[in-house]
Amino acid sequence: MAVMTHAEALVEAIRECMDEDPNVALVWGSLMGVGGNNEHVEHIKEDFADRIFHPPISEAAIAAIATGAAMDGVRTIFPMGTASFMFRAWDQIIHEAGEAHYMSNGAVSVPAVFHVVHGLRGGGSVQHSQSPQSMLWNAPGIEIAMPSCPADAKGLMRTAIKSNNPTVFIDYQKLNKRSGEVPDGTYDIPFGVADIKRQGADITIVAASLQVVHSLEAAEVLSGEGIEAEIVDLRSLVPLDEEAILSSVGKTGRLVVVDEAPPRCSVASEVIATVAEKGMDLLKVPPVRVNRLPVHVPANVALEDFIGPNTDRIVEAAKQLCS
Amino acid sequence: MDKLRLLDIFRQMMLIRRFEEAVYDFHEQKLFGGHYHLYIGQEATGAAVMASLRSEDRVFSTHRNHGHAIARGVDPKNALAEILNRVDGTNGGRGGTFHLASADAGMPHTSALVGGAVPLAAGAGFAAKLQKSGGIGVSMFGDGCFEEGVVFETLNLALLWKLPVIFVCENNTPGAILKSQGGNNTSNLPEGRVIQIPQALGMECHEVDGGDAVAVDELFADCATRVRATGHPVFIEALTERWPGNYFSFPSMVTGLTQVSMAWDGSAISGEHEDWFKTHGPVLRFARDLIVNGVGTFGDIVGIDVDVTETITSAKEFALSSPLPETDSVYSHLLAGES
Ligand SMILES: Cc1ncc(C[n+]2csc(CCOP(=O)(O)OP(=O)(O)O)c2C)c(N)n1
Ligand SMILES: [Mg+2]
Repeated sequence: MAVMTHAEALVEAIRECMDEDPNVALVWGSLMGVGGNNEHVEHIKEDFADRIFHPPISEAAIAAIATGAAMDGVRTIFPMGTASFMFRAWDQIIHEAGEAHYMSNGAVSVPAVFHVVHGLRGGGSVQHSQSPQSMLWNAPGIEIAMPSCPADAKGLMRTAIKSNNPTVFIDYQKLNKRSGEVPDGTYDIPFGVADIKRQGADITIVAASLQVVHSLEAAEVLSGEGIEAEIVDLRSLVPLDEEAILSSVGKTGRLVVVDEAPPRCSVASEVIATVAEKGMDLLKVPPVRVNRLPVHVPANVALEDFIGPNTDRIVEAAKQLCS
Repeated sequence: MDKLRLLDIFRQMMLIRRFEEAVYDFHEQKLFGGHYHLYIGQEATGAAVMASLRSEDRVFSTHRNHGHAIARGVDPKNALAEILNRVDGTNGGRGGTFHLASADAGMPHTSALVGGAVPLAAGAGFAAKLQKSGGIGVSMFGDGCFEEGVVFETLNLALLWKLPVIFVCENNTPGAILKSQGGNNTSNLPEGRVIQIPQALGMECHEVDGGDAVAVDELFADCATRVRATGHPVFIEALTERWPGNYFSFPSMVTGLTQVSMAWDGSAISGEHEDWFKTHGPVLRFARDLIVNGVGTFGDIVGIDVDVTETITSAKEFALSSPLPETDSVYSHLLAGES
């Protein structure tokens, strides 16, 4: 096992896939906010110069170019930077990339990867802080991955690149510098397999991306108060590992779901609806959503903290359910 | 030549420069978070454009909006308070540096999304036409906006629907370090120039040295008069040399705090950025022209600088003493009709 940052793990996945498959291309803005200071970035730049394309500020067209190329088997990774910018390419991702396979009755597939960094970034203000996961989840035909740690980032990115479906890879700038152990060699992490990041018998906390980190912190606090939380890291929203969620809730009978999108029609809403439909009898108490408050994101960092889901709010919600 | 008008434009430019230096200082002191953009190097364009605008006109700006807001008449104390996200800010503190705007000043909304300001200004032209207000829409935007499709759509519509709009593209690519060489964003066009796009559509187009306050003023004043009269859109490309502090993604005060005396005392100029001080920096350049052309004296220039520096010093104090918004305020103004 090597220890590396989230950013390094992502870049390593891209490098490996570009090595393995000459059909993988990369649109190079500022590679996922990763910066230029690591060996892998330099390696990619040099070794794959003919498969790297520098983007103008043209999210919509590039997303559609990636989509059109994907129909002929070119697997383009398109990092769009801040998730808010992705809205420019909404039509292309949702209509063209997401619908082509269905519309062609299965004849055409779209193996493209759209990478964004979402959420509260510390002063991003209203137009640089979007969390598009639940809006995207409402559009059929798109896979959605949301890693929380370096090992998952690598394995999920490899799967995203190899997948024959369009994948939106929803990342988080605040994760980029976090380090973790990453298995040696190449490995893929299949979509639709949640990971139990912590075992616990008293309450289930379901989360993805940075909210897994917050949930793990919350679990430590809760443990000090005699509550053992089980953390279910979804890792991908599409496909969704319903079984992992239901089996954990079956064990604990209590459910908190954490997500950065505002609560209405959010990831948290969908997970809870799924449990209500398929496992209502497993719940001892009504479940709780911990989301960004249903407001825009103010520029002020203190207010940003106030509206975001955070460790304290997760602890509070969990304690309420266990009281 | 209207001496008072020119000195007033200079005053606005000097005010913008001192304002931006204050913003830089606040950021260095970590008084506000996140990314930000300074208008240094482009003061002549913003100040000269706003000099011809009236209260019924509407200005829409971008991530690089500070200079536009100041020249449009936003009080620097409210603008600085906004950058610190305080309650007395132009947007009540919730917009910050990306979004300085003031409906009272005729600058209703500032989009930080590249290209966002362009159709909004056409919307103001649309409203002015419908309401016969006599106003015009003005879009201040960067050359990078031409990479976004919505800008083409807007130019086309402004012509089809005959909207009274002036599109002011501030092209700050000259002198920039290319992004592929590690610099900040610049526009990417294969061969041609951004101005050829509206030209191809048949729009009236002008090119101007955006670092030359008098040239921008004369051109814009003339265009504004005509757009008010004809209702037809006009495109202006204002070319400015990139301020070296804007080479990379975060601003850096590589040219130091502005010394207006450099305008007449060349002995203070040396080093790596000599060229910027001598020929490009619009504040020094205009100060020099004003003196050479007998519009103002050393005394006028220094007097204006002392004045605006005082304004900015008290604006800083005001901004720093303005409180942060209460946490409960996050719920307010989601929908009109609610508190
Ligand atoms: C839709 C969108 N995509 C990307 C960005 C990130 N971004 C912010 S400023 C900028 C460059 C803008 O260049 P230009 O319009 O020339 O303005 P300048 O900064 O040079 O004044 C980019 C790409 C954004 N804000 N919005
Ligand atoms: Mg530019």
